[in-house]
Amino acid sequence: MDINALIAGIGNLLWPLKWLIEAILVTFHTGLTFLGMDPAAGLTWVLSIVGLVLVVRAALIPIFVRQIKSQRRMLEVAPQIKKIQDKYKGKKDQYSREAMSRETMELYKRTGTNPLSSCLPLLIQMPIFFSLFSTLNGAQTGHAGVGLLNKALSTEFGQSSLFNIAPLHESITTANGNGVVIAIAITMVVLMTASQFITQLQIMSKNQSPEMKASPTYRQQRIMLYILPFVFLFSGINFPLGVMFYWLTTNIWTMVQQFIVIRNMPTPGSEAALAREARLDRKRQRRNLGAPATETAGGSFAIVEDVKPVSTQRQQPVGKTRAKKSGTKK
Amino acid sequence: MKRIGTFLLLLPRNICVVILRIYRAVISPLYGDVCRYYPSCSHYTLHAIQQHGVIRGVFLGTLRIARCHPWAAGGVDDVPQPARARYTTTRFGFVIANGHGKG
Repeated sequence: MDINALIAGIGNLLWPLKWLIEAILVTFHTGLTFLGMDPAAGLTWVLSIVGLVLVVRAALIPIFVRQIKSQRRMLEVAPQIKKIQDKYKGKKDQYSREAMSRETMELYKRTGTNPLSSCLPLLIQMPIFFSLFSTLNGAQTGHAGVGLLNKALSTEFGQSSLFNIAPLHESITTANGNGVVIAIAITMVVLMTASQFITQLQIMSKNQSPEMKASPTYRQQRIMLYILPFVFLFSGINFPLGVMFYWLTTNIWTMVQQFIVIRNMPTPGSEAALAREARLDRKRQRRNLGAPATETAGGSFAIVEDVKPVSTQRQQPVGKTRAKKSGTKK
Repeated sequence: MKRIGTFLLLLPRNICVVILRIYRAVISPLYGDVCRYYPSCSHYTLHAIQQHGVIRGVFLGTLRIARCHPWAAGGVDDVPQPARARYTTTRFGFVIANGHGKG
């Protein structure tokens, strides 16, 4: 089957999204041109793609914030979750695990504290990614877009090349020995792998409770961490540079966002949460020298109980949720 | 003869089982546990295809993915039981004819 026809076919299905993406892309392009950049330069188009990523990811922030909020509210139901975990302590067989997951999910639903975000935020990126791919692909062959990307702009986009040497529509497979394209593509694959690697490692090594670390999913994730570079290398070879720029930027965004969240709102009971406690303690100590420092909570999920004395003292946001938590505890 | 017929009848859903198995082993772990439901969407779809066949299974799975978004309450959500269970599944998840011939 003709791959271009297939791409065009799926592209037609996604036209509302394509229209939106083109609109954002063209808006950024116009803006950058207005600021004095060369409209036909590859760099202008790359920056437009970066702008597109910023808009898309910023639009997804509310979903992310919602997830973080319900994660914080999880503190309130932590005792109940612990009760379930104790009930199934040491039972590693499939049926017990399943029953535990069921009970935990029921609890989340009942209390409205589901910390999981569903796969929508991930899923929604896929058509965007694809739309960009088909836009670039169409632009390469001189097809006009479906909206604001008219024929002239489309041709310009398709013919633009970074620093006049690496065409944005080329990939490693089509580069035909163009060393610069290959070098840029490989650099991006490496950067992409590195950013994804760091993101995963951050979550896994710092932001997971000991219970999660003992689960089979965790081990599976660890293995994936090392297979990942090869996945990227394989797919990276076939994507045009323009699409790779989108991917790379979105990966970097994820990495930074993750870092901020892990630092400021870590999963209760995780290493990152302990580190945050310690950091806050140091800060308090520095502020009122001589004031008795709260003992740093020692390991384990028991952090919620351990830090309780703190909540009776003068502390703001953390203390508030914890106070609420101990209020609901019967 | 009947056995071959059953094999061919079950072939499409077993192919789907393999695909979903690979997905769950290779792609799912990349982004970890994110599903707001139990069983997760891919697990649900796997069950649905095993019990209801490819067409109804994929349909049920699609509905489920549409239900699974950040504003959904989540919780336990199992595949509706088929009117009668005609097949058994192996440990891997393949669907085979019922060994006891209950029909």
